[in-house]
Amino acid sequence: MKRRVVITACSAITPIGYRRSDIIESLQQGRSGVKPLHDDGLLTQYIHSRVFGTVDYPIDYGFTRKDTKTMGPVAFYACQVAKDVLAASGLEQEFITSGRLGVSFSSTHGSPTVQRNIYKTFFSQLQSEFSSIGAVDYLKSMVHTTAVNIARMFGITGRIIASSTACTTSSQSIGFGYETIKYGMQDAMICGGADEYDTTTVAVFDNLLACSVDYNDRPECTPRPFDAKRDGLVVGEGAGAVLLEEYESAKARGADILGEVIGFACNNNGGDLILPNLDGITATLRLALADADIRPQDVDFVSAHATATKMGDVIEAQAINAVYGSRPLVTGLKSYMGHTMGSCGAIEMILTLYMMEQGFIAPTLNLESVDERCSMLNHVRKITNTETRIAAIQNFAFGGVNTCLLIANGREVGA
Amino acid sequence: MMNRDELQERIVAILVDDFEFENPGLTDNLRDDHGFDSIDAIELLAKIEKILGFQLAREEKEKAMSIRTINDILDYIEAIQASHHS
Repeated sequence: MKRRVVITACSAITPIGYRRSDIIESLQQGRSGVKPLHDDGLLTQYIHSRVFGTVDYPIDYGFTRKDTKTMGPVAFYACQVAKDVLAASGLEQEFITSGRLGVSFSSTHGSPTVQRNIYKTFFSQLQSEFSSIGAVDYLKSMVHTTAVNIARMFGITGRIIASSTACTTSSQSIGFGYETIKYGMQDAMICGGADEYDTTTVAVFDNLLACSVDYNDRPECTPRPFDAKRDGLVVGEGAGAVLLEEYESAKARGADILGEVIGFACNNNGGDLILPNLDGITATLRLALADADIRPQDVDFVSAHATATKMGDVIEAQAINAVYGSRPLVTGLKSYMGHTMGSCGAIEMILTLYMMEQGFIAPTLNLESVDERCSMLNHVRKITNTETRIAAIQNFAFGGVNTCLLIANGREVGA
Repeated sequence: MMNRDELQERIVAILVDDFEFENPGLTDNLRDDHGFDSIDAIELLAKIEKILGFQLAREEKEKAMSIRTINDILDYIEAIQASHHS
């Protein structure tokens, strides 16, 4: 059994906005969501990178205590975008709780804020405080906290998938959700990822010399994917959710079809856990094309992983060029938001859907002088009005995990 | 050592303020009438430890699992207080 899988709702909380119109406006006006790093009273003083892709606007969650007692900040983000997609979908409550809807959602760490509080309590050596570590802390900080809090909040009884693979967390969530529907295991899946504000991640990448440090006084000028003066990634926060549905049932109920997932691939480099690998990435892109049964020239736009690290961008450019040549438009969307970690794949897919629907492609922000080793690509340097029929969203993670999702424009679906 | 009226005042205040109970009655079923679940029970035990001023032993915590009403909570705390002062 192979069924078609369509996207019928989406929502993202990002450093450049929450509502669809805010995000589109940010992309069209070249507005960055990178801000100065908050002082967390713990790690910040030791970190060289002083920038962060920050969600700095209030969000009206409207959750009750019954909902929130098992939720850390990351689950607030996750449940909010899940609530949005269910509300936008128009799915009946009977279907939501039927067991035919599942959740494929995760984050990099669970909630690092909650984990940090546990350690603070542990090291305080106060017995009276120690007893305050309880089951709720585990439920808030376990790695599948987002998926199960979504399930609990909406009474979802289908499958739970919580892939936690750092930067490919949510692209895997969407890919595995797609396969779950494609092969008939579920009829619909809420898919995505979230990560909350976390200086631990910044410290880790900072120690690896992978974080941007040259633009601490001008946060909006970094990250700079593919630019000759890029100096590393910028960690960010956010969340993204998409609702995937089996095509025939979505069509039958008159759902808005925003796009179709037509292909997915995921592999591993089979070696080094940090260094980008040209063979591994190239293989992933080709596997996705094979899964979608399309040719390289059918892809109009590539949303590159493009974290703005020195070697990562070069290897990715070589892989894109090897598979697609110089035809498709290429943008590194992290230039607007930094690297939103476990949520980046979902957010980048949602931004791509918005651009496809609006008929434009946003340029890579801060791309002033293209690194000559990346210059063989068709970089988007200014707002480009164009019809995108098929787009590729590619993401790569520590651990040597690579993913590629291929999506078709909603206008093409059923045409 | 608090008397029953003082304990009742503290516990009802906790249930209203921290657990969002509406108009709690002493014989209401905590789960059926107020949605009180296993996670809430663990949270409440931590608050009871603060009221008592000492940590509960494992077997004392296990005895709390038979609590169904606010009266049961008060009986439970009174029994613990009595055993620690005897």
